[in-house]
Order: sequence, then C-alpha cells, then structure tokens
Amino acid sequence: MFKAIISAEALQDAIKAVSAVVDEARFEIAPEGLSARAVDPANAAMVSLELSNDAFTLFEGTEGEIGIDLSRFVEILGMADRSGEIELELDPDTHKLDISMSGLSYTLSLLDPSTMRKAPSVPALDLPAEIAVSGSVFKRMIKAAEMVSDHMSMGVHDGVFFMEATGDTDHVRLDLTGSDLIAIKPAEVRSLYSLDYLTDISKGVGGAGEIVIDLGRDLPVVIKFEPTSGDCKIKYVLAPRIESD
Amino acid sequence: MDRCVICKGKGLCGRPRCPILERFKAVETIPISDNLFGASPPSVFVGRKGYPDIFAGPLVPPNVGDSEARQYDDPKELLKIGIDEIIGLRSRLVRSYARMDVKDAKAPKNLFLLTSQELAMAEVPVDTEVWFTKPVDVNVAFDGTLMPMGPAGEIKSITLAENPKVPGKVDYLVSDTDVLAADSIRELHRHDISQHHITRIFSIGLLGRERRLVPTRWSITAIDDMVGKMLLDDIRDYPELRDIVLFTSEKFGNHFEILLVPRCFSFELIEIWHPNSVWSEKLWIGSDREGYGGKKGYSSLAGGYYAARTAAVEYLHAIRRQASVFIVREILPNYWAPLGVWVIREAVRDALAGRGMRFDSVGGALSEMQTRIRTPHDRWRDKMQLLDECRFQRTLMEFL
Repeated sequence: MFKAIISAEALQDAIKAVSAVVDEARFEIAPEGLSARAVDPANAAMVSLELSNDAFTLFEGTEGEIGIDLSRFVEILGMADRSGEIELELDPDTHKLDISMSGLSYTLSLLDPSTMRKAPSVPALDLPAEIAVSGSVFKRMIKAAEMVSDHMSMGVHDGVFFMEATGDTDHVRLDLTGSDLIAIKPAEVRSLYSLDYLTDISKGVGGAGEIVIDLGRDLPVVIKFEPTSGDCKIKYVLAPRIESD
Repeated sequence: MDRCVICKGKGLCGRPRCPILERFKAVETIPISDNLFGASPPSVFVGRKGYPDIFAGPLVPPNVGDSEARQYDDPKELLKIGIDEIIGLRSRLVRSYARMDVKDAKAPKNLFLLTSQELAMAEVPVDTEVWFTKPVDVNVAFDGTLMPMGPAGEIKSITLAENPKVPGKVDYLVSDTDVLAADSIRELHRHDISQHHITRIFSIGLLGRERRLVPTRWSITAIDDMVGKMLLDDIRDYPELRDIVLFTSEKFGNHFEILLVPRCFSFELIEIWHPNSVWSEKLWIGSDREGYGGKKGYSSLAGGYYAARTAAVEYLHAIRRQASVFIVREILPNYWAPLGVWVIREAVRDALAGRGMRFDSVGGALSEMQTRIRTPHDRWRDKMQLLDECRFQRTLMEFL
C-alpha cells in the first residue's frame, strides 16, 4: 500500500537527481519513507535517495517495492507546477502508479522489480578528506574541466582543494581555499574521474545550496547533498579512473 | 578525394555519375537480346534515383537454371569465391525495371510490381521470363552499399514460369496489413528467415501497415539497424562476457580485428582505408561509436557501421552475454571493386565463428592486433575512444 502527497518541487528535484545516473530504478516503500539505490550499467556510478516521510504532506506506506522508468517519470513530473503538490497512489490491482497534479491525472505503468538490476552493495570506503562547496562552485568547476578534457582530478594538497583537467592540448586548474569553501577536512588525496559521469551528476545536483565531497587517493568519490531540506538526502558514489591495466 | 571515402557513390560531389564507379563498367558482357529466360536467385532491385518516382524490378541471369541461380545473390555463397568471380557472376545478372511510385505498394495494381513482389517472397530461385522494350544496355553497376549488378533493361512484359516457394511465416506476415513493419521484421527474424530475405520483401513494399517501396540501398541499412536494435534490447539484460577475446578474419582485402571486452554493451568501429583502396587515394581513417544507450542519428561510417554492428550483436545474442565491442576494419588495395556492405556483415560473422584468442589484459590484446594490422598503431589507436574508458574506468565492485 502506498499513498502520498508531496510538494512538486521536492519530488521533481529528488527524481531528477536519481535519473541523472540511471534510466530506471527500484524504489523501496516503507513506513519511514521512500528510498532508492541504483547503479549505472557500467557499474561505475551509484546513486542513493532517501526521502523521509517528513518530506511529505501525507505519507501512508507499508513495506513494498516498485520499479520505475525514470525518463517517463521525469517527463510526467515536468508537467507539474513547481509550487503545487503531487499526489501519488499505487493501484494494488493493476500495479500502476496514479499520479495527480494540477488537475492532470496520469497512470504510469511500473516495471517488474524482479527483472531489474539488483540494488548494488555500497562500498565501505575510508575517505580521509571532506570538502563542502556551494552547488554553483561545484557546477562551475565541472563545466571548466569539460572544456578541455574527458576526465578531471580532484584532490586536496596542503589544505587547498583543487580540480585539474588535462586534455590533448589544453589544461585547466582550479584551487579553492578559505572563503571559497564552506568547510574542509584536509588530507593529502587525489583521484581521477570521468567527466561523462561528473557532468551527469552536476545536472542532478540542480539548485542545491551545499555539496559535500568525500575524497581519497585513487578511490571512489562520494558526493552528497540535500536538494530541498534535510528530509531528502541524495548520495552519489563514482569509481575513479586509474590509468594502468 | 576525401569526400569519396565518405560518399561511396551516393553523388555528394554533384556529378551525374561517380567517376570511381565508372572505372568498373563493362567488366563482362552478355549476349544482347530483348528477351531472356532464367531463374531469379530470387532477387529484386528498387532504385533510389528520382524518389518517389523510381525504377524497380527483378534481377534475372539469362539461361541460368534453378540449381546455379542461388549463388548469384546469396552472401554466404559469394563469400566463398574471389572478387573477380563475384563480379563475373553479378555482371550476368540482368536488372529488369519498370517505373513505379513508391506508394504503389499500398494497393499494388501494377502487374510488374505484383510479379516482383511474388518473386521476392520466394525462398528459392524462380524461373522467370522477361521481354524488354529494347535490347538491354551492357554495363555493370557498382556501389558501396549494394552488390554489383549487370545490364539493365525496361520491362515490356514479365511472367513467372513456376510457382514461387514461399515460407509460411513470410506468407502470413505479408498478408497481415495491420501489423507494424518493425513487428513483422522481429517475427521473421525470430523464425530464422534470413536477413537477406527480410530486406528483399521489405524493400519491395510487402511489410507493415503503410506500405512503400523502399530503395534497396536504404532497406539494407534500415533492416540492419532494426535487427541490431531488436537484439540489443535483450542483450542489455544479459550478464557480461567473462574473458577479453580477440577475433580476426580477412575477406576480399577487408581485414577485421574484433575485440570483445567484458563490460556493459558499447560498440566502436574504426575504418582504415589504405592508400589506393577503392574510395581513397591516400590513407583515410574514420571512426564511430555508440554507448550502452544506443546510437542517435546516422553513422558517419554509413551502412557499413550498421552491418558490422548487426553481425557483432548477433554473436552476443547467441552467447547470451554483453560486452564492449571494438572492430578495426582495414581496407587494403586488393579490395579493388566495391561489393556492398554484405561483405562487412559476412566478414564479421566469419571472424566471430572462429575460436578467438583470450587475453588477461586489454593491453595484451592490443599488441596482438597491432601485429596483424598493416597501418602503424599510432595512426589509429587514438581513434578508439571508448577503449580507454573500458581500460581505465574502475567499477564500484572493485572497492567492495
């Protein structure tokens, strides 16, 4: 059983963040709220969403699982007025999701969760450095790197958070320190990541105010943010590029 | 000249006839007559000039019986013989044609079209008699996508001298005018109707709801694309291949190296045209690719890209695995006349029917490839853009 009412803005941001990395996802329904964990086909990037029941105006849910085609879902949610509300209800007989918003009511066919890729295990990572930057700084950093290369390094050296990208001909570096950052827990770290993934992630970040980045040495990066409030938590984990066979 | 290797006779330069293709004219001749009798392999050709007002009709080799006719048009048979023999055979295949509108296929009344359709449905050669308005022109037509064809003549009258043998599934789907072409193609492919046969009936306007004649050249690539996408829908759910495997084959001066890497599906084709190969005077290297999500837009490598992809995904579908596929096609000067994209499809199939060599690392497989590709690797290696992604991008599983 699942029935919920939530602000359009909160749901749009949450689903957009998940759809940045995967086309379809399994959502777990529980009395505490809605959650999802999914990994991209190449097993390189993972996203997890936790939308607590406090994020909803109304939330009634018993344990269950539904599979959603995210590109369809994002399209439908795009029709909602951002300041309005969206009502979701699972029809137990047809196993379809009824979505109502600003006078529109959609019926979305669900995917059979048993045919979908299993939810990934989360790597237990010991990432010594943690950096908090504003969402706009994060996006600008990725945009700058994209102009010169397909991949970029992120790291911390002497307490300074840096990004560096080297292409065939051009090079870019960004050093952030002091007031550029919201917070930093320094450690000597550096890893290289594919910009294909980071660009997708930066799209998922949307207008988030604060992004927390956990880094290690040649280890996956963890990128966390809360799109609207503490009631919704998004976490990306992206495996690094390591240039040896 | 750079443009020729991309155009392959399509006419991008604006000349009325392709100067390269003109070189191959009149390799063999046949007796000039205004009447002929022979078994069509079966084969029909739908032209593209003047679209939607086009020429179409059956191909018939004069005085050739049922038993020999098949080899004139069957890619599997043609693969076994030499390039000179192929041109010899194909130049004896007379192309009969009549003017038609592509929309005539919707409710065919034109007797020539009806006869062509009846013939196209057949699985085995059909005895055919054609009378021409005047004796046929003697020449051979070559093309990058199509098989070479012999002289052409306008049909005055045509009859089939026997009943075509039509597979039940073909008959069934041709008579169904409510089913979409894509669904018919899926169904035919599932029932082991050869891709060559599907292309033939699709081209002559026998499949789908909104039936049209589709120029042969476009049909070949359309079917390659549809079959490829259809198989990929399944492949995306299959587990990854276990080993790094390298396959190789060489047909008519087309050398192929096919590398399969355990990972989610992706496909990359590199074409290396040697100096003095058919379409190019100097070395020309091109590449195109698609990721897991599939291809958007038309490939810069044209029909050959889709033909290679079809053969590669057929293999993955058969072994029920997914993998990242890298194909290097090196075209040597002894590919002296263009034979059509079937060469690519069949050569890739041939390579993948082999045993393949297993490697512990992509680097090892690359070194092996370099020993067989004549062009130095620094000229083409950086065109393999997806390969680095494959080699260097770690997966999250490695950190569990």
